[in-house]
This record gives sequence, C-alpha cells and structure tokens, in this order.
Amino acid sequence: MSGPLPDTPADPVEDYLDRLLVTLSGSPRQVRHTLAEVEAHLHDAVAEGVAAGLPESQAQAQAVARMGPVHEVTGRGPALARPSLALGRRLALTAALVGSAGFLAVGAAGLVARVLLAAKGSAFLTAPWPSGSYTRADCTHWLAGDPGAHSCVTAMLADHAGDFLLQAAAAGLLGLIGLAAYLALRERWQDRATLTALPAGTAEALGTVLAALAALAFLGQAADTEMVQHGIGAGEPWSLGAAAAVAAVVFAVALWRVLRRSAVA
Amino acid sequence: MRSERLKGHLDLLLMSVLSRGPGHGYQVITRLRDRSDGAFELPEGTVYPALHRLEESGLLASAWDVVSGRRRRIYRLTAAGEAALAEQSKQWREFSGSVGRVLGTPAAKPALRPAITGLTA
Repeated sequence: MSGPLPDTPADPVEDYLDRLLVTLSGSPRQVRHTLAEVEAHLHDAVAEGVAAGLPESQAQAQAVARMGPVHEVTGRGPALARPSLALGRRLALTAALVGSAGFLAVGAAGLVARVLLAAKGSAFLTAPWPSGSYTRADCTHWLAGDPGAHSCVTAMLADHAGDFLLQAAAAGLLGLIGLAAYLALRERWQDRATLTALPAGTAEALGTVLAALAALAFLGQAADTEMVQHGIGAGEPWSLGAAAAVAAVVFAVALWRVLRRSAVA
Repeated sequence: MRSERLKGHLDLLLMSVLSRGPGHGYQVITRLRDRSDGAFELPEGTVYPALHRLEESGLLASAWDVVSGRRRRIYRLTAAGEAALAEQSKQWREFSGSVGRVLGTPAAKPALRPAITGLTA
C-alpha cells in the first residue's frame, strides 16, 4: 500500500500550470487543450534554457517569466483571474438556482391551488376580509368581475382566488426564466475557480434549508387555519406548503447525490 | 517594443508567421522573435488567446500531432486566413507609408552658427 507522496521541491512550471488550471474558463475540452499547449510550450522553453547552459531551476523560472502572468494565457485580463470574481460567479449561480426554484415552487403551488379551487371552492382557497374592512365600491368592483356571484363576499373570494392563481402563474414563469438563465450561466462559467469557489452542494444545502423552513411555516399556517377558521382560507397555505415541501425533498435528494459523488471522488 | 503596442498588430503578425508554414505555439513565438531580430518581445502566453481567437474566426485551423515526443497543437493558415493576411498586409503598408510620409525623413541639422563671430579666425 502506497503512502502519501513525499514533498517535492518547488517547481515553477508545475505551479504555473496549477494556477492556470484554476483560472481557465470554457468547456472541459478547451481547458484540457489549452493546458496541454502551455505545458508543452513551457517544457520547450525549459529545454531551450538548459541547452543554453542554464541550471534546470533557473531555466524553469525563466520559462515561466517569459510566459507572463496567467491572465495573458486566459486572455481575459487580470481582474477575471481574481478569486473574488469566481466567488461572485458562484454566488450568482447559487442565487439563480435557489431563487428560480423558489419561484417555480410558487408556480407549482398555483397548480395545486387550482385543483383545490375546483374541488373545494374559493372559500377554502382564500379567506374573506373581515366585514367593515372593505367598502361598497370594493363590492361593486368584485361583483362587476363576477356578475353571477350571489353576494359581495362570494365575488370577493372569487377575485382573491383569481389574483392568487395569476400571481402564482407569473411566479412560475419567472422561475422558468430564472432557471434558463441559471443553466446558461452554468454552461458559460465552467472554469475550475468558479466551480470550487464554494463547497460542493452549497446551493443544494441552502435550497433544502430554505424550502424546508418555508414548508414548515406554510403547513403550520394551514393547520392553524384549519383549526381556528374551520378550513376557510387554508387552501393557499396548504398549496404553498406542499410545493415548498416537494422543493425541499428535491433539493435534499440533489444534496445527497452531490455529497455521495464528492465522497466517491 | 512595448508589448501593448505590439498586441494591436498581433493577429497580423501571427498570420504572417504561419504563412511560412504550420507550427505550434512555441514555434510561432520563436519565429516571431527571430524574424523581428528580438525586437518583438511580449509575454509568450499572449499568443494562445490570439491563436484561439483566429481559429474561432476561421482564419486558422489546428490539429493535434506528436512532435519530439510531445503532443502539440499545430496551427496552419486557412484560405480565409490567407485572404485576410493579404488584405491586412495591404492596409498596414498603406498606413505605415502614410505615417512615414507625414513624419518625413529626418531633416539635416542646420550648420551651427558661431555664437560670437568675432571668435572665428
């Protein structure tokens, strides 16, 4: 059984290639190709220095100095080689993933609410405002939107339920746009520096925690509404809680897979 | 020559170097240095983004080969690259010719007039 490799003396060429590897962006193939090109170039330059009579260590240092800073090879300027940029990108990817998942969950809650509305009616989905908190003009407005309603309260409930479904649909659309942006950015930012700027599974862990907290809050509110108001208006928190719970499970499964991959690697 | 000034003409110079025959990155930078008698010194890493950009533009093509026991990416000028090189060379000659005419040839220094004529013999 072999033990850990003994410490090797500092090798400027190897150090340079390490720095280049964590800075290069592009597809894995582009990264491999550029790294292979630069490695061959540096070995040629070292061989030329040694042939000219330099000690190997000096030839290595000279080859690296002639190559110039890593950002010359990446062609993206020194700013883009800074770790803070990689961290910023990683944070943006995390926010895009968790945020779009949140909006998608609200969109899914709208679908659940639509089913609840059909099954149990608008009084189950949304609670009416307390009497005295709305005006006659409000009633006129609600009844105009629902001419078949028997009363102002019925029209109000239909209006509020419609608003919730519309807002949920808009959130779902935003979630889809956010998800598309996340996938595009993830495809574009595949450099190792960005990929390793945060521990593996950070986004999944954050998503799991936030979704679980949201699920607990909404499901708790729904249960409270069931008990205190006999179910009137419980549909909204039930649908939001169910969608958040599903999101938490999806994130948790994704986190488990990431952690298992990391353990295998 | 300052590398910033050189970078503005790097594409033209790289295409010109490769018009003499295919080569990998290290050969390209060596030929560039040799053909300029050492005047064109720039960070050698600069050539790679330029080579990749030219390849993406279709002016260069590359293929992997084993040279001296090591895998190398060999670049060559494409037909589009040859046309671009001819056009950019023409533009450069016109530009440098115009700059040269504006600057003119160095004027002959006027003969120094003795400050105190009385000191002359």
